Amino acid sequence: MTDRHGPTRPDVEAALERYLAEQHISRRELLERISVLGAVVALAPIVAACSSGPASAAPSAALPSAAPTAVPSTAAVATPTPQPTPVPTPESELVVYNWLDYLGEDVIPSFEEKYPVKVKYELFDDIEVAYAKLGQDGSGYDVSFPISVDVPRFREAGTLLKLEQSLLPNLVNLGAQWTDPGYDPGNAYSVPYMWWTTGVAYDTTKVTDTPTSSTALWDERYKGHIAMMDDYRETIGLALIQLGHPANTSDLTQLDAAIALLKQQKPLLRTYSNDTISTMVGGDVWIGMIWGSDLWQINEENENVVYYIPEEGGVRGSDTAAIYSGTKHPVAAHLFLNHLLDAKVSAANTNLIGYMGPNEAAKEFIDASILADPAVNPDKAILDKLEELLDLPNALNDEYLTRWQSLKAGG
Amino acid sequence: MLNRARGTIVVVPAVAWLAVFFLLPLAFILVVSLGSRDELGRIVLDRLSLDNYRRALDPDYLPTLVNALRYAALATIASLLIGYPIAFWISRYGGHRKILLLLLVMLPFWTSWLIRTYAWMIILRDNGVVNAFLQAVGLTSEPIILLNTDFAVVLGMTYGFLPFAILPIFIAIDRLDHNLVAAARDLYASGRAAFLHVTLPLSMPGVIAAALLVFIPAMGDFVTPDLLGGAQQTTIAKVIQERFLDGRDWPFGSALGFILIAVTMVGTLIALRNVRREVVGE
Repeated sequence: MTDRHGPTRPDVEAALERYLAEQHISRRELLERISVLGAVVALAPIVAACSSGPASAAPSAALPSAAPTAVPSTAAVATPTPQPTPVPTPESELVVYNWLDYLGEDVIPSFEEKYPVKVKYELFDDIEVAYAKLGQDGSGYDVSFPISVDVPRFREAGTLLKLEQSLLPNLVNLGAQWTDPGYDPGNAYSVPYMWWTTGVAYDTTKVTDTPTSSTALWDERYKGHIAMMDDYRETIGLALIQLGHPANTSDLTQLDAAIALLKQQKPLLRTYSNDTISTMVGGDVWIGMIWGSDLWQINEENENVVYYIPEEGGVRGSDTAAIYSGTKHPVAAHLFLNHLLDAKVSAANTNLIGYMGPNEAAKEFIDASILADPAVNPDKAILDKLEELLDLPNALNDEYLTRWQSLKAGG
Repeated sequence: MLNRARGTIVVVPAVAWLAVFFLLPLAFILVVSLGSRDELGRIVLDRLSLDNYRRALDPDYLPTLVNALRYAALATIASLLIGYPIAFWISRYGGHRKILLLLLVMLPFWTSWLIRTYAWMIILRDNGVVNAFLQAVGLTSEPIILLNTDFAVVLGMTYGFLPFAILPIFIAIDRLDHNLVAAARDLYASGRAAFLHVTLPLSMPGVIAAALLVFIPAMGDFVTPDLLGGAQQTTIAKVIQERFLDGRDWPFGSALGFILIAVTMVGTLIALRNVRREVVGE
């Protein structure tokens, strides 16, 4: 956005010069006018800095996703020279890069106790920033936690190391839905870490009945106080699932039907926003789509908000743990991933974070209050209706995004 | 000769700045906008074409461009209407406090733009300060919807860009030769006539600069419509951002961006020409 301030300056200058000449303005006055111009020029960097700050920060953060041109595709085959059983000796060091507050307190100490590995643990609070730092091969980080939907493109780009399954015996702990996830068949490049759902939250002081369907988001009674997410895959996904279609459909008729449904809803909407914490707390939104994982933060300021996964089903999201292809500590990294798959370790993570993990064996160690919460740990009927969003091929993704943008642009 | 050489040296930093931070990125955007991308979102430049522009001219995107123009124009008008009297007042009546007053104008820049916009959300939302006040004094019983409206977007932009309007107008008025106003009064011009025929035309360069400094960043502002606007306030800047980040389609995003730059430039040129005609009587 900085760019657009440039060309106007010569125009101001030209206008001024002509003006001065035609007004027969004296030399002294000319100098004074120039000082006006000087101020304008002096201001421009401030304007630029101010207006481009938040705007330009975002695209640059996403750079790696669009610019990994330099990756030789052969990087994907750089296997860690694994020695099969017995467990090979791990390297003495491991660098782990994780979200803030996203690992049970005892997880690293217990790992260091078990193996002669010193773990260097670093934190991030923005996934795009993390992706930028991880670059095309991890840039010195051995293990990090990419979102499942991003795994396919990292795999394609050779960013992730193909896992040596024999070093991950704890894979047997995974629940049935996690042994062959759509984003990474056979868990070949990643292991599932934590999962959450997208569903509906409402303020019980404004919405007095107990909705169970996502159609409540189309209820005229809440006009002007309904919100959907500003995320085309999530919002279209909800509409598709409500219509009984797959959330990743490639059938354009189904997609059009979902868009038509959202078009009907648009006049009722207050906003499309992912900042659901502030919309639900501010009283603007009475019923809206949220990531279930945001509920506790909403409840800290507004305890009247409750959350449900629509009876039609919903979108499940998940984080994975993966090893980066540039790793210098592949054995230690595999041992660490295996450690994360340990039942007690996984339970410790769930108890801290409040999300369910994919670990079936962990359930006996998870706090009863978490297990009893249907919004976090839904029963099997709902569980079976949860779908993960998959990374779509460009052409299909464009069909989604173009329809979404014309939905948002339209009156 | 020496003077000319010296003059050339003086403009070198400005030219270098423009070349590196304006022309180069602009050329980059232009080249990328002619390219395409592969399945990983990487930019491919081996077959350049105008396809992205053909896609960008889809009438579906037009309302977002119209929205951006509308908000920028309204924010510019509001900034001039509010900024001119403030600048005039500081210049004429600021006395020895002028610097302090100007500092106060700049004071909001000490806080991040994003935080200030979030503050507006807290002020305008249904549980916010304004609605709490209106209900406390009994003017309304239910909250009035302020946040996520056109009003909120124009308010947020006007608030944000007002200092850019005040400063150049202030300088123009402050450097204006007082004797000219005095002469007008001597020739029996009323205070109003002296202002309209002397002060205002002479401060026009400042007003033009102010209008440009508000309009241009307002056109590209996506934070304000995104945070203070709602479901009905989508602007082109948001569409571009979504193409870059969610769509991972830099070539198409660049084409949309280039169109926005072109529209802004053309708008600026037209505005300048009209104002010049008015001021100079060309």
